[in-house]
Order: sequence, then C-alpha cells, then structure tokens
Amino acid sequence: MQFKDQISFVGQHIKKNKMRVFMTVLAATMGTAFLIVLASVGFGLHETIRGEVLSNRLVTQIEVFSSEMDEEKVAELKKRDHVKAVVFRQNIGTEQQSSIGNFTGNNPLIVTDFIEEEKANFELQEGRLPEKANEVIVGSNFAEYLMNQQDENEDGEFTTYDGKLIGEQFIYQVGDNEGELIEDEMMLTIVGIGKKPAKDWEQDQKIYADASIIPELEKIYYTHVDKPADDHSDAEQLFYGNVNVYADKLENVKAISTALKDDGYNVYSISDELDKLDVFFLALKAGLVFVGTIAILISSIGIFNTMTMAVTERTREIGVMKAIGADPKLIQRLFLMESAWIGIVGTVLAVVISYGVSMVSNYVLPIIVTAALGEEDFGDMTVTFSVIPWQLVVIASTISIGVAMISGWRPARKATKIDVINALRQEL
Amino acid sequence: MISVRNLNHSFKIGKKGKEKQVPVLKGLTFDVADGEIVSIVGKSGSGKSTLLHIMAGFLTPESGEISVQGIQTSLFKEVESAKFRLDHFGFVFQNFQLMPGLTAFENVELPLTLKGINKSERQKKVKDLMQSVGLTDVQDHYPNELSGGQQQRVSIARALITDPPIIFADEPTGSLDSETEQDVLLLIQSLNKTRGITFVIITHDDEVAQTANRVYRMHDGVLTEGGAHHAI
Ligand SMILES: Nc1ncnc2c1ncn2[C@@H]1O[C@H](COP(=O)(O)OP(=O)(O)O)[C@@H](O)[C@H]1O
Ligand SMILES: [Mg+2]
Repeated sequence: MQFKDQISFVGQHIKKNKMRVFMTVLAATMGTAFLIVLASVGFGLHETIRGEVLSNRLVTQIEVFSSEMDEEKVAELKKRDHVKAVVFRQNIGTEQQSSIGNFTGNNPLIVTDFIEEEKANFELQEGRLPEKANEVIVGSNFAEYLMNQQDENEDGEFTTYDGKLIGEQFIYQVGDNEGELIEDEMMLTIVGIGKKPAKDWEQDQKIYADASIIPELEKIYYTHVDKPADDHSDAEQLFYGNVNVYADKLENVKAISTALKDDGYNVYSISDELDKLDVFFLALKAGLVFVGTIAILISSIGIFNTMTMAVTERTREIGVMKAIGADPKLIQRLFLMESAWIGIVGTVLAVVISYGVSMVSNYVLPIIVTAALGEEDFGDMTVTFSVIPWQLVVIASTISIGVAMISGWRPARKATKIDVINALRQEL
Repeated sequence: MISVRNLNHSFKIGKKGKEKQVPVLKGLTFDVADGEIVSIVGKSGSGKSTLLHIMAGFLTPESGEISVQGIQTSLFKEVESAKFRLDHFGFVFQNFQLMPGLTAFENVELPLTLKGINKSERQKKVKDLMQSVGLTDVQDHYPNELSGGQQQRVSIARALITDPPIIFADEPTGSLDSETEQDVLLLIQSLNKTRGITFVIITHDDEVAQTANRVYRMHDGVLTEGGAHHAI
C-alpha cells in the first residue's frame, strides 16, 4: 500500500469518528499544553533571575589576588583574550578622614584608573571625571557618611551633610601606622558623583582618585612613617592594591579565570555560583516537565481507549483486509498512524495554545501582581513569567507524540492478531 | 493447480483442562485443476469451510500438505501467506464481507490499493471491470445501499480485480434468493470461461454444486468425488 493511500485510509477512519477523535485530541492537547505552560514558568523564572544577575556588573568580574601586583602585571592581564577591562584599585591601608565644615567621615579613598573603570561600566550620575591631581569623584552615598558629631536630630542621630557636592572642596587626612591622624591636610575637589549602585542594599561612600594623587599622599605619609626597605613588605605600605579583571562576556569568565588560576593567581568569580543557579533551574525544569508528563500520561488513557474501541469496532473489516491479503504489519501501521495523528494534532494545537497562554500571562500577570503588591515592591524588576524556548517545544512534542504512539501500540498489536476466521464470522 | 495431500485437522473444544479433540478433516487428498470449477458440497458442520480456510491459509492444518501451482503454501508463515493470497487468490463470502465505509467502487479498488498500485491505474482497471460485470450504475453506492445480488456482484468484482488464478467462494449464494442465485452462478461460469479462472465453490446446496465441472462430497470429514450431475 502506498504511503499516500495509507494516509487517506487513516483520514477516512478519523472522519468517520469525528467526535470521538476530537475528544481524544482535546485531551492530548490539554495534557501537552499543561506540560508546556508549566515548564515555561521554570524557563521564565530562570531567565528572570539570570537576567537580574547578569544586569549586575559583578558577573563578568573576576577578582584577582596577588601579593605582588604591579603595573607590569596589570598590563599583562589587559592583553589577555576576552578581557574587557582590568581595574587596578589601590586602597589606603590606614585611618583616613574627610571633612566639610563640621561634617566628618571615614570615607575610604581609592586610587584607580578611570579609563579602565569606564570600560567596566563605571558611570557618573553627575559631573565629570578628574583631570587634575586633586580632583576626585565621590560615591553616591558619600554625603550620608559625613556627620556632624555636635548636632543631633530629633531621633538622636547625628545630622549628615546635605549641601552641594560638585565643585565643593573637602579636607582629606590619612593616619600614621599607629592609627593617629596626621596633621597635614590635603584639599580635594569633588568633580563628579558616581552612579547609585544597582542593588538597593549596596552603598558607595568611597572617594575615587587618579594615580596622580599618590606622590603627594605618600609624601605626607612617609614624613611620619618610615619607608619600608623592601617594596613588597606590606607592613608599612600606604597602598595595597586589588585587581578586578572584567570579561567581555559571561561565557568567557570561566575560561579567563581558569587561565589565571593556572598562572598562579588566586581568583574569585561569580561564574561558579551561576553554574549552581543553572543546575538548580535545570532540576526545577526537569521536575516541572515530569509533573507535566503525568498530565500527558492521563490523556494517553483516552488515546488507548479510543484506539482499542476503533480496533474492536473494525474487527470484521480488519479480518476482511487480512483475508484479501493485507500484511499484518500494514494493519499495525495504519492504527499506529491514527494514534500518531492524534498525538501530532494534539501537540500542534498545544504548542499554539501554550504560546498564546504564555504571551497573555506575561502581559497580564505583571499588571495583577503590581496591583496587588503596589508599584514599589515590584519596582523596575523585569519579571518574565513564562518563556517557551524551542527546546521545550521539542521535549514536550517528543513526550506527547511518543506517549500517543506507545498508547496506540497495544491496540495496534491487537489489530494484527485478529483471527481472520473469527472476524469473518462476526455478524454485520 | 491446487493439490491437497493427506490433510488432517481437528479442533479442541470444551473447557480448559477438559478439552476434547474433535477431528474435522480426516486425511483428505484431492486436486483442483487449472481452469475448472470445483464444488465441495456437504451438510452444515461437515468441515467444508474449515477446508477452505486451510487452503486459503487462514488456518494452519494439523498435518498434511497443500501446494498451489507447485508452491507449498502449507509451510507459509502468516506474512507470506497474506502476500500469496493477495497475488493468487480472490474470495467471495456468503455475507459478501464488503467494507461498510467504502463505496462499491472503492471496495473493488481495495485489493489494488493494498498491492500498492497507482491511483490512476487503479481507477481505470476498476472502471473497466465494473462495466463488464454491470455495476457502473451503482458504483458510488455504499454496501447498505445495494441489494444482496448487487453486493455479491461487487464482492465478485473485488475478488477478480487482481486477476487471480483462483477464486474461493464459501456459500456464495447462501444469502440470495433463487433468481439472483442463478445470476451469480451464471456470472461465475462466464468468468470461468472468458478468463479461465479456477473456482472452488463451497455449498450445502446440491443444485448450486451441480453448476461445477466437478463435485466433491464432504461427509464426516472425508471427501469423495461425487461426479457431475449427481442429483438427490
Ligand atoms: N474454531 C473452531 N473451534 C472448534 N470447533 C470448530 C471451529 N470451527 C469449526 N469448528 C467445528 O468444526 C466443524 C466444521 O465446521 P465448518 O468447517 O464451519 O463446517 P461447514 O462449513 O461444513 O458448515 C463443526 O462441527 C464446527 O463446530
Ligand atoms: Mg461453512
């Protein structure tokens, strides 16, 4: 029998039992759509959380620890493949104090390279980058850490500085190796304010200065503290550095950090944690697919019933076909095609419906959640409730069509085993 | 040519554990020559249908050999047997056994479809045959829209469509009135003459049996050649 004749043969039978086949397809559709929509929530959550993590610049950051970090090594790191920026920040290892008028604070000063910082997404909310030695940028929370210790507000807290920042000068002092502030002061001018950190709980009260500030600070420091004989003993050093390497893309973080480890650096990156996140969501998605599969299995009972009925009803016809000389394998195939047809149509409908449900829920659910929780709680977080990647469609289709064929298998086998003589004996 | 040698068959009947072996065919040996009409006549329950079922390959005999045109069909497996039937045999049954969901035309077309023949070729062949057996007027009717005689004509056409050398007919006139019975028997005789098709007709009716070239009598599982024009 030619394949197209097989198709039209199966088609005729389906047409003859429209209602029954329709109900079975409906059950298969519902089962499969349930699986896809359920699992799509797992995919949606994964995408949302990954997106959240990725929007943070820390993800592509690799912290590199080395006791002997210097400009030469930084230059070498910059040359590596897929390295977007290498930020060499030098911190002050002693007491420090900033003051504007009566307001004082212990805001830490950091010497860094603004060109590299900008490559690593350092942004200003106001002002400009430093151009002269005494010009600095302050973090967005700088002012909140400048307190007037003589003035308390009604809550019993010290008042904090709330004056103008850009263009203001402030006094900056460092301490000696005993932790005592050195009298010699530096006047620093604020020329820019850093952008608010992405996370609400993060605060940035730091002072960012260019490397050109180093000579003057060291001069002040070493007039009061003995310069260490050995450049690398960190006991009396004013500055100690840390290096952050930024990969161009998240995918490359792993390769870069592995290479750095091989070269003897101590390295920390968030990519390990992201791996854990992915494993967790893989397990979650597998669990959701499993639960959804149960729905498909339930719908498969319908397919089994329908096909068993179809075979029983057509016993005499099958007997006649076998008597004429139809190959038992052909008869089996015709019935398998019928159950596969149910599975395929059910799956196609389910995929279409699932995409619809997914789109509608991504549109409607945020509105409902925002209304329920209030604008602020939901905030600017972009939540995707449901995502249907092609892999999910492939998985669901495989399961659904596979289950349909398996449940059609026994009835089809039964059809091939029909005894010609008994079948012919059946009354019309 | 069909040759049957020392064919035995028995059925197990009764409850499990207490089955009884009931012999139905007892050492049958006979031949059917090419181009003849042979009838097998006997009382109901004498084992005629069982014999036909075995010859057709629906049933595997307990012992004995059957060969059709020199091929040992009794050794066939199910699949081989089906293929052999499709190429060599046509069947006509008492109850016509037409497909209720197919029109007369489609019923006749079915064996060609099973053989994997192209639609255009099928339609041409069926059309020609329908014309020669006088079914053109009712070709689009479904079986339940046809009279008994018409249904049997359709089923004969279905048996003929693959040009098989042999057609088995089990009580072909059993459900027909005597007038249509004559029509069908005449059709069989003319097809035998014009196309040289061998017919094996099974009947309980002596009159029907007498239309054959040769008559075998089945009695208690034993077959005897009854000769032509034997009347009760
Ligand atoms: N499947 C079967 N199981 C048991 N006994 C059977 C079976 N088929 C036929 N018989 C018995 O075999 C005998 C012959 O039956 P059958 O060949 O149909 O006779 P006929 O066609 O001559 O009327 C009968 O007694 C019938 O009861
Ligand atoms: Mg009989």
